[in-house]
Amino acid sequence: MSQVFHDIEKKILETLQKTPNQTPEQLSKNTELSIDQIRRGIEWLRLKDLAIVNESEQVSISLGPNGLDSLKNGLPERKLINLIKNEPKTFDQIRSVLSGAGFNAAIANAKKNGWIKIEKNDSGSLVSLKEKPIETPEEKLLAFIGEKTVSQDEITNSLALKILLSRPNYIIQTSEKSKTISLTDTAMSLDTSISSSGAIDVEADVPPVFAARTHPLQDTIDEIREIFVNLGFSEILGNMTQSSFWNFDALFTPQDHPARELQDTFYLEKLESKNPATSSQIKNVSSSHTKNWKYDWKLSESQKMVLRTHTTCVTIKYLAEQKPDNARIFSLGRVFRNEKVSYKHLVEFNQIEGIVIGNNTTLRDLMGIQKEFYKKLGLTKIKFWPTFFPYTEPSLQTMVYNEKLGKWIELFGMGIFRPEVTKPLGIDKPVLAWGGGIERIAMLKYELDDVREFYNNNLSWLRSA
Amino acid sequence: MPVVELNINRIRKLVSGKTTRKQILDALPFLGLDIESEDGDEIRIEYSPNRPDYSTDYGIATGLQGLLGIKKGIQKTIIKKKGKFAIKVDSSVTKIRPYVTGVIATNGKLDDVSIKQLMNMQEDLHFGIGRKRKKSSIGLHDADKISFPLIYSTTSREHKFVPLNSNTEHTIDEILTNTEVGQNYGSVLGDVKQVPIITDSEQNTISFPPIINSALTTVTPNTKNILIEVTGIDKESAEDMLSVVISILQTAGFDFNELKISGNKNSTPQLKNRTMIYDTKFTSEILGIEMNSSNMVTCLKKCRLDASVKGKKITCTIPRYRFDIFGPMDLVEEIALGYGIANIEPKLSPSTTIGQKNDVTIKTGLISKTAIGLGFLEAMNSSLTSKKTLYDMTKRDSSKIISVLDSKSQEHTILRDSLLPSLLENLSKNIHESYPQKLFETGVVFSKSQPINESINFAAVIAYKDTNYSEIKAIMQSILKTNFKIESQTKTSKNQELFVEGKHADILVDEKKIGEIGEINTEILENFRIRTTVTGFEIKLSGLIFD
Repeated sequence: MSQVFHDIEKKILETLQKTPNQTPEQLSKNTELSIDQIRRGIEWLRLKDLAIVNESEQVSISLGPNGLDSLKNGLPERKLINLIKNEPKTFDQIRSVLSGAGFNAAIANAKKNGWIKIEKNDSGSLVSLKEKPIETPEEKLLAFIGEKTVSQDEITNSLALKILLSRPNYIIQTSEKSKTISLTDTAMSLDTSISSSGAIDVEADVPPVFAARTHPLQDTIDEIREIFVNLGFSEILGNMTQSSFWNFDALFTPQDHPARELQDTFYLEKLESKNPATSSQIKNVSSSHTKNWKYDWKLSESQKMVLRTHTTCVTIKYLAEQKPDNARIFSLGRVFRNEKVSYKHLVEFNQIEGIVIGNNTTLRDLMGIQKEFYKKLGLTKIKFWPTFFPYTEPSLQTMVYNEKLGKWIELFGMGIFRPEVTKPLGIDKPVLAWGGGIERIAMLKYELDDVREFYNNNLSWLRSA
Repeated sequence: MPVVELNINRIRKLVSGKTTRKQILDALPFLGLDIESEDGDEIRIEYSPNRPDYSTDYGIATGLQGLLGIKKGIQKTIIKKKGKFAIKVDSSVTKIRPYVTGVIATNGKLDDVSIKQLMNMQEDLHFGIGRKRKKSSIGLHDADKISFPLIYSTTSREHKFVPLNSNTEHTIDEILTNTEVGQNYGSVLGDVKQVPIITDSEQNTISFPPIINSALTTVTPNTKNILIEVTGIDKESAEDMLSVVISILQTAGFDFNELKISGNKNSTPQLKNRTMIYDTKFTSEILGIEMNSSNMVTCLKKCRLDASVKGKKITCTIPRYRFDIFGPMDLVEEIALGYGIANIEPKLSPSTTIGQKNDVTIKTGLISKTAIGLGFLEAMNSSLTSKKTLYDMTKRDSSKIISVLDSKSQEHTILRDSLLPSLLENLSKNIHESYPQKLFETGVVFSKSQPINESINFAAVIAYKDTNYSEIKAIMQSILKTNFKIESQTKTSKNQELFVEGKHADILVDEKKIGEIGEINTEILENFRIRTTVTGFEIKLSGLIFD
């Protein structure tokens, strides 16, 4: 059976057939392949039962500072013997030469070796030579190691080594794992020149390709739309350009309200809607404003065209036109604010906004729908806070806990349309309304901290998000 | 949303010595107040513009006392009628700023922090209910520096006095021209020769409403008695503002004395409480909570209103400064707040309707799927773009431009009538990324009509050195044919600056033009710094696959 080899494998096989048992480093040197290529080649050969990897641990021994000192000047016990070889000495006399730990070690070891005897008299302990000291195995080992680094395997007297290892800073022991590669018998006899070389390096890096895909923000929009459709809501569409009548007046926002000013709202230059609504709608909305806000309502203000500041204008218009008895409706699309663009503000962003009219239209139901929506998005830690919107009463906002940021984040707002909004448009029943920005949710999903990223259409992000 | 700064220790003292920091911080959101930031003991709070009484820590303390059950019901305001305090209105103000109202706050104690709170209140009241001082504006004065009675009349632009924060006399004209407040709010008065002025019995100028007070009556930590004057174009709005200030100063420890107002349709403010009858059925109908009447009364009292049960109805008394309460729905909200929003359990009722996506959403979704199948990446761009991208760089006809007024962003000044320029801009920003690049976008485009027409377009571009007309034409035809079985033709068209001469066409379906296709002109590519070949097309989907 002819085998298929990669060039890397071939080179490794050839060099090991010549010189068995090589380390990866040696192989790299002999084949002129990188160490990385060698590692992979070995792994492939091993998987084919052609190479054997022997792992071994190499322990090396060299002398530490005390060992080197003893090599030069003798072990402490040898120093002691030299000191008392001519006449006995007292502890104090010895201490003046062998200080600190050296003294204790010298006395203890000389005694253990049976070299000395200690007698007590009036002037303290006197140390005298007992017998002629011969060269100890430890001393022989010190001399053997010398200033070199030797392999532990070369040391025959393991007891002496154990003793020296037990004494501080005499021996430095280092261990290193190493691999040697050898070939199996089959591999040794393989004729690599006849084997095919069609194999490729299946682990090498390749140039990336990128999947075509929908925009990540569009994915979030679709996900949110899907959730509301599942909750029984139907989608309606409406224009982004709206008359002020539907964007503001119909929603009980007084004509001198700060939100309506140029610096907050985009007004379209030289464009107005001649008949923004039916004459009875205009009459009723006008009188609701005049009665409650106490100012002169002007038709001309309501005819000005704006870029919608919310999608609520689409749903309220639908309600005023269709007057459904029982409906769940939502509208999703771009809304606009005349703001400075920043990492947290866009002039144009997406909003979803929905309403419920008919059965089960209490504040608790509204909260229940929100809770279910967030649950489907995987957001379970939520709470509700009171807030204010000109066109709903009561009004709440949802707070969602973000684990990553470790804080509560404000998401959708909600409320029940004020009678001052619904009555003038001929809607008699309570209407639950809720809505909010989609980018905010998408930012949590994609872990972005700059909302502008969604509209930069940066390919490196779109291709990897 | 307006912002107010609070010191936690100060507000604890104002609420009651026994409240803890945690109690305060936990309760604030349930009063409808968002904690914007916390820096040690200093916290910044966002409050809703419908509650101007929350523009100071005093007002917030009053609210917290109720919610925490420390003090409930209306705090009673007594305005003493005795005294020499009066203001007479001259008929000359009628056409400029016809109304003045006010009160004297007495026996109070101020410090630097409380003065700062009152200044913040003044700014917020001017901006919100004062509609940038146009509808009404307020002045606070050291009443002990004034010789009553006052006169509210008009004066010429040469009239001189020492304005607040100044040491020297200035004429009205100088104030309007040279000071920041004059420049910001002078327009409120319009182009009149005579301006409103309040002077005292010794002819001292007290205030030049709605622009600036005089230096003479500056409120300092030594001020014990304060004159509050509000002028405006609407009597009720002026009294609204006055009532807010009174409720705040009452919590700050002041007593009140009447300021008699007379002349020219003006009168002394009554600031009476209102009563409203509340039908208890609303609580279960709107909130979905079962609650007995006496509990509802407790909830209302926690919101610093008064209430008593009368059969199935509740008589609710509303203090003058709560002019945000229009009708029963507002009382429902007060009951919800008093009950505690955190105590309301969400309820999921089964839907009795079947949800459905819009036809447009479904069909544009199908188009997107085809484009992705053909290897295109979706881009999303703003509808509001710049003239530079939409017309100048692409040399397109700008005669039907639709602009917005006063945009704060130069890159967002006009509504787009085409998607291709945005896609070219996207390619331009990605010249360092690997090619081929293939992008598409589905989006709304705008055109002038009666008053404006919005339709949905689809556009796609291909950028890399070997792209050509045939490639993009094949893509375009596949997009229309897949799912929709639409056969399209391309027809030679008049020269257009956007495309290379001889390499572009109109796209026809049933002999009707629905779009354009071609290779993008190299000169235009240079404008976008794109150094490769680009082909693209744009079609109108509205009227083709949906209405």
